[in-house]
Amino acid sequence: MKEDRRADLFESLRSLLPVLVILALIALVPLFSPSNRFLSLAISAGINVIALYGLSVLFGQTGILSMGHAALVGVGAYAAAILARDFGIGFWLALPAAALASAVFAMIVGIPSLRVGGHHFVIMTFAFGQLLAIVLTNGGDYTGAATGLDIAGPVTLFGADMTDLTRYYLMVVAFVTVAAVASWAIIHSSYGRTLRAIRENEKLAASLGINVGRHKIGAFVVSGIFAGISGVLLAYFLGHISPSQFSSFPSIYLALMVMIGGARLIEGPLAGGILVAFLPEVLNLDPVQSRIVYGVCLIAVIMLLPDGLIGGIVRALRAAFSGKPKQETEDCDAAEVRQ
Amino acid sequence: MKTVLKMGASLALCLGALAHPAFAEDNIVKIGVVAAESGSFVSAGHTLPAGVGLAVKQINDAGGFKVGGKTYKLEMVKRDDRTDISTAIAATQELVRDVKVQAIFGSETHDFTLAMAKITQPAKIIHFAGNSTLAKILNADSVKPGGEDHYLFQSEPQEFQRSGSTARGVLSLLEPLLGFKPKKSVMIVGNDATGQFLSSYYYKALKAEGQDVPDIIFYPPDTTDFSPFLTRAKSLNPDIIHFWYNGDSTLTALPQALELGAAKSYFLFGVDPGIWKEKQLSADVPVAMSCVPVCWGESSNPKAKAYFDAYFAAGAPHGVTSSVSLLYHDYVHFLVEAWQKADSFDPDKTVDALLTLHHKGVVSDDLTFNPTHQVTHATEVCAAAPGGAISCAMQQPPAEAPKS
Repeated sequence: MKEDRRADLFESLRSLLPVLVILALIALVPLFSPSNRFLSLAISAGINVIALYGLSVLFGQTGILSMGHAALVGVGAYAAAILARDFGIGFWLALPAAALASAVFAMIVGIPSLRVGGHHFVIMTFAFGQLLAIVLTNGGDYTGAATGLDIAGPVTLFGADMTDLTRYYLMVVAFVTVAAVASWAIIHSSYGRTLRAIRENEKLAASLGINVGRHKIGAFVVSGIFAGISGVLLAYFLGHISPSQFSSFPSIYLALMVMIGGARLIEGPLAGGILVAFLPEVLNLDPVQSRIVYGVCLIAVIMLLPDGLIGGIVRALRAAFSGKPKQETEDCDAAEVRQ
Repeated sequence: MKTVLKMGASLALCLGALAHPAFAEDNIVKIGVVAAESGSFVSAGHTLPAGVGLAVKQINDAGGFKVGGKTYKLEMVKRDDRTDISTAIAATQELVRDVKVQAIFGSETHDFTLAMAKITQPAKIIHFAGNSTLAKILNADSVKPGGEDHYLFQSEPQEFQRSGSTARGVLSLLEPLLGFKPKKSVMIVGNDATGQFLSSYYYKALKAEGQDVPDIIFYPPDTTDFSPFLTRAKSLNPDIIHFWYNGDSTLTALPQALELGAAKSYFLFGVDPGIWKEKQLSADVPVAMSCVPVCWGESSNPKAKAYFDAYFAAGAPHGVTSSVSLLYHDYVHFLVEAWQKADSFDPDKTVDALLTLHHKGVVSDDLTFNPTHQVTHATEVCAAAPGGAISCAMQQPPAEAPKS
């Protein structure tokens, strides 16, 4: 029994290791003296990846797709800006406060939305996202209306000014690492197993005594915490936020990123975030061409790579090296079988 | 594990390969342009590099300019922001820190400009933006030496001035065509940052001209079916419906308004008479149009023809908002004059020179910046009679903002 547990833990840690290695390598990028354009885009991508880890808990583990996730990021960003403006609260205190605000907003949205399922939930979250943009646009001086809000004040860590691009980049990489580890911890916890049970068969899960509604709202709240933190990082990075940044299109992009990368794997959000941020840059695509490419990618992923791009790559590698393909969600499902 | 390491190393190498070294060359002064050359704001976006590019060519063709006894030429480094704030920020970071430009022009999107200014201002980069919405941040405190926006300049008149000249021009041109003095106006406005900001001033300008304005009707950006908004407007029986501010949306809305017979006349903000003629548009009621700041299709400004001939000859397309290029073109010349006057590229000396110069541009023979770094000039308004004849007039701005 003890050996089984140790084997499970080893198995779990093995699934986290590739992400940590990749993130460590990403943290070394400043050593290659990258351009500031690259660093800036990488910071934006990293901020998205943090929100994507929350979305992967919701979509990948619980099977609920939110099309209003950018609104939760927006709640975090606006919370940070308003706290700084009205109460002089800085970056580090804004982090938990904004995470809490986004979590509360997620719960408020989640309670009515999760009474319906499937496509209806997607529409409800989309509508809530739009509603938030309208509220922010018409919020007068308090929300800065359509012009938005400035956020002033430096980000410091142990006396060091983190607004320097390389330092902010490293800080975002650190936050992405924390998000990845938190996501991994959720996936490999009994809570994660409960969420997956709901994803696979809601009725069966309910018959086993799982409070399906409460856990679904819980997953939405957890995803809100990730989004809130992402929002604070975004607000302090840009120095100015406006409602258009958190409306329907950014939400669709977040959903697209997590679906292309793969929502059930720990590497998925990282891959999706990087791919969608850098593909137009590398291939010099304009927004219309980008949308065509993303659309084609999405169709290809849905039809050919149900576990997302990373799932497909890992499966192909395993097939190449061991001669037999393995279902990619197996890294946590195998442990469940043994338990 | 080996595979993972290999993949990671490849990724890191690929990412590192994206790094570009900064490029510097003697006697070349780089100026940056950040504009939406693709994406939803492309219509106005492509006018920025076209206007700045033309000015750069004119200056270089004339042999460059002298500062500190040395002759310099300009190089425009343009970056497409793809109508995406992250890309705009990345482009600004690149231009400021990697390319090391002396000045930046753009963007035409208000909230992008505000975020860009967070990068340009601490780096002491002279930054011109043709957004009248900058009035929200440009004040005596922010533009003073050491202030947050000391190097930021608004190359479009203050909105009370632009709205004031526009309202005055629209009413004076439509009155003879209508055959009576218009009294009631309804505004239909795009509900975004720019629309909200602009309409608040235009409403006051119409009121100051004695108009009864019973409603401002906001439509969501990217609206294509305007019938609900037009029906609402029609129920108010207006003499004029004023479409603010997006020229592309306005051109979608106008045929629907004409079909519905929503008003006795219309005003289309930001639609050039050139587009009216090219698209062979017609209306059975008078239609006024305004340009930001001077029209290319028909103009009462003597310098406009030569400018737009050169502008279009350089390959710029005929667009609804081609005239927006003038919010940038003149200021390249203005900036060079400031460098020459300061005899230095020092940003503080350049700001001082910009604030004292009277520049002869296309838009006006006397372009100046006020103490809060905002320019003042007239706006051109035209009107198409039901028969098709178009008349235009430059309208001077009011001296003071109307009392609310």
